[in-house]
Amino acid sequence: MLEIKDLSFRHKGVKEDLLKNISFNAQKGQITTILGPNGSGKTTLFKCIVGFWKPSKGDIIYEGSSIRNLSYSKRAKILSIVPQEHEPPFPYSVFEVVLMGRASHLGIFSTPSKRDYEIAEKCLEIVGIFHLKDKSYTKISGGERQLTLIARALAQQAPIMLLDEPTSHLDFRNQIVILMKIKEIAINNSLVILMTLHDPNMAGIFSDKLIVINSGLKIAEGKPHEIISEGLIKKIYGVEVIKIKFDGYNLIQPKI
Amino acid sequence: MKGIKAIIISLSPLAVAWFALFFGAYGVSPLMVIKILLDETFHLFEFGDIPEKAIIFDIRLPRVLLAGLVGAALSCAGVTLQGIFRNPLVDPFILGISAGAAFGCAITIGFLSFLPLQFIAFIFATLAVMIAYAIARFQGEVSRLPLILSGIIVSAFFTAMVSIVKFLVDPHKLQSIVYWLMGSFSLSDWRAVKISLIGFLAGVLPIFLMRWRLNVLSMGDEEAKALGVNVRRERILFIAFSTFAVAVATSLSGIIGWVGLMVPHLLRMLTGPDHKTLVPLSISAGAAFMIAADTISRTLTSFDIPVGIITALTGAPFFIYLMKRGGEEAWGK
Repeated sequence: MLEIKDLSFRHKGVKEDLLKNISFNAQKGQITTILGPNGSGKTTLFKCIVGFWKPSKGDIIYEGSSIRNLSYSKRAKILSIVPQEHEPPFPYSVFEVVLMGRASHLGIFSTPSKRDYEIAEKCLEIVGIFHLKDKSYTKISGGERQLTLIARALAQQAPIMLLDEPTSHLDFRNQIVILMKIKEIAINNSLVILMTLHDPNMAGIFSDKLIVINSGLKIAEGKPHEIISEGLIKKIYGVEVIKIKFDGYNLIQPKI
Repeated sequence: MKGIKAIIISLSPLAVAWFALFFGAYGVSPLMVIKILLDETFHLFEFGDIPEKAIIFDIRLPRVLLAGLVGAALSCAGVTLQGIFRNPLVDPFILGISAGAAFGCAITIGFLSFLPLQFIAFIFATLAVMIAYAIARFQGEVSRLPLILSGIIVSAFFTAMVSIVKFLVDPHKLQSIVYWLMGSFSLSDWRAVKISLIGFLAGVLPIFLMRWRLNVLSMGDEEAKALGVNVRRERILFIAFSTFAVAVATSLSGIIGWVGLMVPHLLRMLTGPDHKTLVPLSISAGAAFMIAADTISRTLTSFDIPVGIITALTGAPFFIYLMKRGGEEAWGK
């Protein structure tokens, strides 16, 4: 279990907190999604958990021990990250990109061993893109790149996986493909999955738990069908919506 | 196919070096070169004191070895800095090494001729990079863009200082400064080979051992951190090792452009961007290219043309060809 405890963050020399006492936890084998509008503190929270920014207060705990002050290589063994897809400056093959997930397991003077190659190949198979192995990462589609980055995070063999808006640049089909794959991986590998998403409907459909954030504060937390409501959406996005209950899901539709 | 290319490139320095040993103003037959080399190591033929032996061991072999080691160092530093700065158009002089070395050379030839030229050039080359690094430092962090900018600033400063020295010294000294700046192996001896070997062992070898990390570092700072790499520490190491290798090379040969930019670039197109193979191949191909360029520079006319001119003359049209042929792909897109 990953526990975020009383986390606050402010930039150096700034008085106002960007995050205010955020606490929640995320369970193994489940998808926990942080939902919130732009500027809500979603990305700040993400960067604090990842370790890019140091929280001014609070702690991040995995299985009882704090991971807040771990070195990059130790942290990478506990927590893997799937960034938003992007183009690297050199046209590495998909396999070479996935192999980079092994960096924290390798010393500075070593190159990947046969075992690292096998792990990377297995991760390609799990994600279902083994056929792209030798393709250039710069020549595949956005959805395929996102899957490559998920395979790379899997190759890190960390119990927690963080995904930063994994569907943001993708078309409808690829959004669903990616989120289904994430769900499958969470269950099969019993990972703690924590991600940020833009779309409240997608978040509601694919998440086991939602953490709703606005202005640096946690507004709501719970199962999607318990917390998604007209009032909540109005409060964080400032728009009127109608809630539709269907097949156990709470969906929202803009009022037009 | 990639494997065959890699083997050919790895072995190319040996073939080029052999060619460079028998090619020149004094003809030595290709077979004789091998016989002389074998005789020196295994004492098979007992040649005694023949002129060919002196030409090979006193003149051509140290020159070939020095050219090879300098070429390897420039090319290896080029590929390393391109990876770290995530830009295929970065050359090994980007942080001010060449301008620093040029200034060291200029003041030594101009005013302080009692000091050892190569040592002073090395000191100023290293100093230039350290200044660039210090300028780029904000709140303990050194990011890529400020570092490139401060490299440009430091280069501009030392280049201006070189101009002042050139303006002030007498014309005879000016000539030596200009000749040194163009880069040449005409003064090679075994002492220079030994010094360049130190640069190779303390600069190029560690980069070779750390080479796979360049893949991860080239993905960007945040991503490399997320993958478990101590970016700050590893980047300093790569910059320190490549600075040392290039500063030693430049102090021995003068400023030789294009090699560090062209060789890695060509290899990326031939055998791919994976630094695990790219770094060793850059070392081999850099050595082979420099030996070939130097052989041309000493045999093309009756006098030694500075090798820096040859590398630029071959480099520029070659690049235009690659650019036109490869289009977008040639630039690593």
